[in-house]
Amino acid sequence: MSRLCSGVTALTLFDLVIRSMRKNIKHYYLYFFALILSVVLYFVFATLQYDSAILELSGTNMGTAFQAAGILLLFIAGIFVVYANSIFLKRRSREIGLYQLIGLTKRVVARLLIVENILLGIGALIIGIAVGLLVSRVFLLLLMKLIGYESFIEVSFSVAAVVQTIVVFIGIFALTTVQMIVMVFRNTLLSLFNSDKAGEHPKKPKTGVSAAFGLLGLLLIGFGYWFSGRMLNELFFFNILIVLATVIAGTYLLFRVTISWLLFKVRSRKEGHLGLLNSLSLAPLMHRLKGNANSLTVITILSAMTLTMVAFSYAMYYETERETDIRMPFDFMFDNNEAQTNEIMGEMDQKGIGYQHGKVDMLVVPTMFEQGVFPGESFERPTAIISDKQLQAAGIDIVAPKDGSASYHDASSLSMFADSVDLPIKIEIQDEDRTTVEITEMGERNVINWSLFYGQLVVSDETYQSLKNKLSGMEGAKIEYIDGFHILEEKDQKTASAIFQQPKYTSSGPHVDYYSSYEESVQDNGLMIFIAGFLGLVFLISTGSILYFKQMTEAEQEKKSYATLRQLGFTGKEIMKGIIRKQVFVFGLPLAIGLLHSVFAMKAASFFFQSDILMPATLAMGVYTLIYTAFAFLTIGYYRKTVNAAL
Amino acid sequence: MTMLKNTKIDTTQKAKQTVLHAQNVRKSFGSRGNVQQVLKGIDLHVEEGEFVGIMGPSGAGKTTLLNVLATIDRATEGTILISGSDISRMKDAKLSAFRRDQLGFIFQDYNLLDTLTVKENILLPISLGKMKKKEAEAEFQSISSILGITELADKYPHEISGGQKQRTSAARALINKPSMVFADEPTGALDSKSASSLLGTLADVNQKREVTIMMVTHDPLASSYCSRVVFLKDGHIYSELYKGSKSRQAFFQEIMNVQAVLGGDSVDTL
Ligand SMILES: Nc1ncnc2c1ncn2[C@@H]1O[C@H](COP(=O)(O)OP(=O)(O)OP(=O)(O)O)[C@@H](O)[C@H]1O
Ligand SMILES: [Mg+2]
Repeated sequence: MSRLCSGVTALTLFDLVIRSMRKNIKHYYLYFFALILSVVLYFVFATLQYDSAILELSGTNMGTAFQAAGILLLFIAGIFVVYANSIFLKRRSREIGLYQLIGLTKRVVARLLIVENILLGIGALIIGIAVGLLVSRVFLLLLMKLIGYESFIEVSFSVAAVVQTIVVFIGIFALTTVQMIVMVFRNTLLSLFNSDKAGEHPKKPKTGVSAAFGLLGLLLIGFGYWFSGRMLNELFFFNILIVLATVIAGTYLLFRVTISWLLFKVRSRKEGHLGLLNSLSLAPLMHRLKGNANSLTVITILSAMTLTMVAFSYAMYYETERETDIRMPFDFMFDNNEAQTNEIMGEMDQKGIGYQHGKVDMLVVPTMFEQGVFPGESFERPTAIISDKQLQAAGIDIVAPKDGSASYHDASSLSMFADSVDLPIKIEIQDEDRTTVEITEMGERNVINWSLFYGQLVVSDETYQSLKNKLSGMEGAKIEYIDGFHILEEKDQKTASAIFQQPKYTSSGPHVDYYSSYEESVQDNGLMIFIAGFLGLVFLISTGSILYFKQMTEAEQEKKSYATLRQLGFTGKEIMKGIIRKQVFVFGLPLAIGLLHSVFAMKAASFFFQSDILMPATLAMGVYTLIYTAFAFLTIGYYRKTVNAAL
Repeated sequence: MTMLKNTKIDTTQKAKQTVLHAQNVRKSFGSRGNVQQVLKGIDLHVEEGEFVGIMGPSGAGKTTLLNVLATIDRATEGTILISGSDISRMKDAKLSAFRRDQLGFIFQDYNLLDTLTVKENILLPISLGKMKKKEAEAEFQSISSILGITELADKYPHEISGGQKQRTSAARALINKPSMVFADEPTGALDSKSASSLLGTLADVNQKREVTIMMVTHDPLASSYCSRVVFLKDGHIYSELYKGSKSRQAFFQEIMNVQAVLGGDSVDTL
C-alpha cells in the first residue's frame, strides 16, 4: 500500500515539477542563466588548462598560476551560484509555501525542489559545456596572442576538462540542494509567505551611536588609505593585512551605518515632504540598506581587488619590453672569451646574418657608495668603469658627463631608489688613496648586459685612461672585456638567438640573450594578464549579475507601488526618473568606492614598477565602469518594463 | 437603458454644476472572437458635492466602471466628461496629469507605499505640484486632523492598523483638493466600527469640503451614508435611489429592498 502511494506521488510529483517549472519560467531563467554562465566560464578555463599547446608552453610557474586561478574560479563560481540560488528561492518562497498549504509534506516539497534542481543542473551543464566549446576558441586565440605564440592552434575537445567541470558542478549542485532542503525544513509557513515582502523597515538610528560608528567607518577607511602609502618596511606583509582589515571594516561600516545615517539625516530634514524622486530612491534604499550592507561590502572590496589585480598584471605586461630593454643593451654578449666570439661571428657570417660587433674594455674595481646615499649599510661591490667612446663604437648610444664625473648605470633593484637620490653623489674606490669619482647622472638603463653583475660607471675616454693608469696595479682590480653584438635585421633575431643558445657557447654565468629573454617574459606575463583578466571578467560578471538579480527582485516587490503611483497620476517617465536615481546609487556607490579603494591600492603597488601604471590602471577602470554601466542599463530596462506593465 | 428609472427630481442639490458626465459608456474585454462586454451603455451624471454609492452583484462591472470613470482604464466607447474635460480623448501623459490634479483615489487594500511614512504617503500626490512647502504642510495638518491621524505622521504603514491605513489612504486622496474622489470598497477590509468611523469622516468631508465622492461597495450600511446609490446589474444601471431628506435608517431599508430584488449578493455567489 505504502509502496503504491509513493509511486503515485512520484508520478504526480514529476508532473508538478514540470508544471511549476513552466509556470515560473521567468524566475527560473535568472537562476538558470547564472548556472549556465558559471559552467561556461569554468569550462573555458578548464579547457585552456588542459590545452596541449599551453601545456607544452607553460613552465612550472605557469602551471601553478593556472592551478591557483582554477581554485579561485571554483570558489567564485560556487559563491555566485549559491547566491543566485538564494535569491531564486526567496522569490519562490510563496510558491513553496503554497505547496505545503495544499497538503504536500515538507519531504515531498524538498524532493520536488531537488528533482527540479537536478533537471536544471543537467540542462545547465549540457548548454554550458556546448557554449563553452564554442567560446573557448576565442579565449585561446586571445591567450595565444597575448603570449606571442604564432603557429597554428586548434582547440581540441578535452575530456579531462569536461570531467573536471562536471565534478566541480556536481559539488556546487550538492551545495544548492542542501540550501533548498534547509530552506524548506527551517522555515515556517508564515515566514515563507512573508519573505517576498520588502525587507526590514528602517528604524530611527540612535543618533549618537550611529554618528560615532558612521564616523569610525570613514576614519578607518581614511587610516587605511593613509597607511597604504607607508607600508614599505620590514613589516610589509603585516602592514598589508592592517590596510586590508581597516579598509574592509571601514567599508562595511560605511554601508551599514554611515550612509544610512546620512540618508536618514537628509530624510528627516524633509519633514515628510519627500517628493516623488526621493520616494522612489531614498526611501527604498534606506529600506534595504541594512540587508544589503554585506553584499555591497563584498562587491566593493572585490571590485577594488579585481581592478588592482588587472591593472597590476597589465602594468607588468607593459613593463616586460621595457624591462628587458633596459637590462640588455646588447642582443647578446660574451665576456672575456675571444674564441667563442670568433666562432659565433663565423657561424653568423655563414648564415648571412648581419650584425654589429664591438669590443669594450672594463676596469673592474671594488667600490663603495658614500654613507647615507642608499638605505641600509653601504657595502662593497665590484664596479666596472667603462669608456663612453668604446661603448659608442659598440653601438651603445651614450655620452659620459664632461669634467671627469661619471654616470652610473644599474637597472637592478637599486634603481628603485635612484629617483630619490640627490645628485651628485660620490663613489669610493677601495684603493689605498680612496680615490673618489663623482656621479652626476643616474642612467636608468644598463650599458652592458646584466649577466655581469657589476655596477656600471661610464666616464669619458680620458678619465678612463687616467683611472686605468692609476688603478690597474691595485689589489682586486681587473681589466676585463666584453664582446657585444647587435643583430641588424629583426628577422634574423630568432636564428641568431638559437645560434647563441647552443650548448657550446654556454658559460658559467647566466647565458642570456635579448630575444629569448623577451619571448620568455612576454609568455609569462601574457599568461598572468590573461588569468588576471579572465578572473576579473568573472568577478565583474558575477558581481554585476548579483546586483542585477537583486534589483530584479526589488522591482518585483515594488510592482504594486508603481501601480499605485501610476493610479495616483504619475507618468511612467516621472517614476523612471526616481528609479534611475536609485540605480545610480545602487551601482554607482560600490563602483565609486571600489574605484577609490583601487586607486590607493595601485598607488601603493606602483612602487614595484618603473613605468607608469596610470595607463593600464585607467584602462582597467574604464572597462570596469563600462561593464557596470551596461549592467545598470540592463537593470533600468527591467524596471522600465515593470513600471510600464504596472497599470 | 430601459431599466433606467429617470428620477431626476432632485430637491436638495439644485443649481450645482455637473462634475461628471458619462454617456453611453461601454467597455469590452478580450480580443476578437472572445469579446466580453462588461459595461453595456452607462449614462451617469454626478453633480458637485454628491456622495454616490455604486452597488450591485459581484461581476456586475462596478470596479470596471469606477476604473473607466477614474481614467485608470479606458472605455471602449462613449464619452466621459469630468469638470468639463473629455477624458476619453486625452493622451496618456495628459490623463496622468489630470488624475494627479483633479482626482483622488481610495483603494480597498489601501495601496500605501511600504517604504514611506504616513505623512510622506499623504504628501505624495502633491510632490510634483507647485504647492509651496508651507502651504502643503498646512493642508496636511488640516486633512490629517479631520481624519484623526495627526499622531501617526511618522509611522510606517506596517506599524498602524487597517482602519488607520485606510484613513491615511483617504487623506492621500484628499490632499490635492480633487474635484472628485473615487473609492473602491474602502471599507471592505475593515471591521464595522472602523468602517462606520471612516464613512462618517468621508460624509463629513463630503459635506464640509464639498468634495464629490463616488464609492463602490457591497455593504448596504456603507451606502446608506451616500446621498445617492446607483445599482448596477450585468453592465446596466438597474436603478437609482436618492436619500433626499430621509433618515439614514430609512435609506438603508430602501437599499436593502432594492438589493433583495436585485438578488445575488457577492458573498453568496462567491
Ligand atoms: N482586465 C480584465 N480582463 C478581462 N475581463 C475582466 C477584466 N476585468 C474585469 N473583467 C470581467 O468583467 C466583469 C466585471 O468585473 P468587475 O471587476 O467590474 O466586477 P465587480 O462588479 O467589481 O465585482 P466584485 O463585486 O466582485 O468586485 C467580470 O466578469 C470580470 O471577469
Ligand atoms: Mg470589484
